[in-house]
Amino acid sequence: MADFLSGYSVQKWLESCPQGYLEGTVYGHGEDEVEAEEVLKNETFREQQIRTTVQLVVGEQCALAAASGLVNAAQDRPSKLFLATQTLDEARHVEIFVQRLYDLGVKPDDLESTLKTYANPNLVKFAEVLLEKVDKKDFVAGVVGQNIVLEGMAFSVFEMLHATAERSNPKFAHMLSGTIADERRHVGFGENRIGELIKRHPERKSDIHKMQRNMTKHMLATFHDLFEASAGAANEARKAASLDTQRPQAIYHGLNLTEASTEEMESALANTVLKEFKTRLSRIGLEYQSPM
Amino acid sequence: MRDWIDPHQLNEDDFKSTVQSFEFWFEAVEGYLHGRPFGVSPLTKEIALSDRRRDGLITTLCNYCVGEAAALEASSGMIRFAPDRLAQVFLATQAVDEARHLEVFLNRLSQLGVPNVDVEIESRANRSLLKFKDRLLEFVDAQDWEAAVFAQNVILECLESTVFRHHAATADPVTAEILAGVISDERRHFGFGENDLGRRLQAAPHVHARLAKIKRDLDTLVLDTFSEVMGELDIAPADRPDLAGDYLAAVARLGFRP
Repeated sequence: MADFLSGYSVQKWLESCPQGYLEGTVYGHGEDEVEAEEVLKNETFREQQIRTTVQLVVGEQCALAAASGLVNAAQDRPSKLFLATQTLDEARHVEIFVQRLYDLGVKPDDLESTLKTYANPNLVKFAEVLLEKVDKKDFVAGVVGQNIVLEGMAFSVFEMLHATAERSNPKFAHMLSGTIADERRHVGFGENRIGELIKRHPERKSDIHKMQRNMTKHMLATFHDLFEASAGAANEARKAASLDTQRPQAIYHGLNLTEASTEEMESALANTVLKEFKTRLSRIGLEYQSPM
Repeated sequence: MRDWIDPHQLNEDDFKSTVQSFEFWFEAVEGYLHGRPFGVSPLTKEIALSDRRRDGLITTLCNYCVGEAAALEASSGMIRFAPDRLAQVFLATQAVDEARHLEVFLNRLSQLGVPNVDVEIESRANRSLLKFKDRLLEFVDAQDWEAAVFAQNVILECLESTVFRHHAATADPVTAEILAGVISDERRHFGFGENDLGRRLQAAPHVHARLAKIKRDLDTLVLDTFSEVMGELDIAPADRPDLAGDYLAAVARLGFRP
């Protein structure tokens, strides 16, 4: 255990993250990068981006509460040190996505009401399932919920958003690439640390399976709500794309996002996340539980 | 990097959103941590330590680990009940600072040849400091924001920075450089506590009496810790700095008289 955890020290984190891929960035992007004009000028696109970014803030606030709560639940010092770095990663994500809301025109005085208006209730329930385990200082369930389920979901969502923004909104894509690099580290820790704990505590499996099933149910409902809510913006984007043959295409797992319907996008994202869950859960000795 | 902004020229909301941000932390630590793995420049040379001095340093570092572990658990535990998002972000930067301090002190113990740091910390930890840790974590578990900020960001930070400053002045070059980086962080943490409680005391003066009582309870533990630290640092009685006096003066500046 000690060997793999030495790769997750504060010093390694300092060198790879703040002194690595974040060097020279401001709020996760280049100082000269700004939001895409197309988003700021079109009210439908702007609202859709605000709705999406609010979900990112809600998800990251949950991750911040969970990672910081798990510091005290961890029994070993190296895990506490790693979780402290994860705590700051999550706080940074909250900060950059809140800043993005300001960049999208949300006024600081309207921030809380904007979060309240757009936060998806299913995503809030997803967070509550995880935080219940953290509040009980249940380290094993907490790390599975946080570093496998939540981070696994976030990883795939960020990749899809990154594919969409890569050509059309480099500033947002830059923010996402730093976040994806952080999430990769968090998922790696979860897989490495929890596998041995599950082996030592097989009696915990059924409770953790139940938590994963509940979180998955709320996650899929969140995806459904959000893709349904973005149908108008997606239609408008498709129309604009059909008129502009030079428009760069966005591809995610073989799906052309520029031309795809919201149902196709929802299906591509859900399938990718569930496939990732199955792989990662099996690596730590758990079987994926379908919420259906 | 952005142009430097003097935070003291900002209004209250802008001050908080600037000073309590990841971005502010990032720019602050870059200056003194870049090129210093585990807090020390590769150019800084070790000097030979006598057995007695080495042993005293090990005991001191073991107690620093106790203090930093307490601060790590407290700052991360306080995030959940922090009053707003900016305070949460600040505490996340503090949690990583405390984790770094713990890591650099543990690394220094390994450099000094300590084979099992847990055993060493267990046997050398100051009992008063352990009691202080328990009291602090009780405030955190009870989600008592004012008491937790006061105990952690005012009293513990004040205790640590007083000891670290005096120790850095007489320490070997490697330990002194580690301490210099840690002191820079502690200043930020103390500033947060001072600012947060200052505003609260202005808005609700009755809080003062409650915090003053907490201070009186904790002072005994702090002063006992100081007296032991003095013995470990192997400083002749005549040359010993007035740690207790410095600590009491720093807390008095916040309006808490002995």
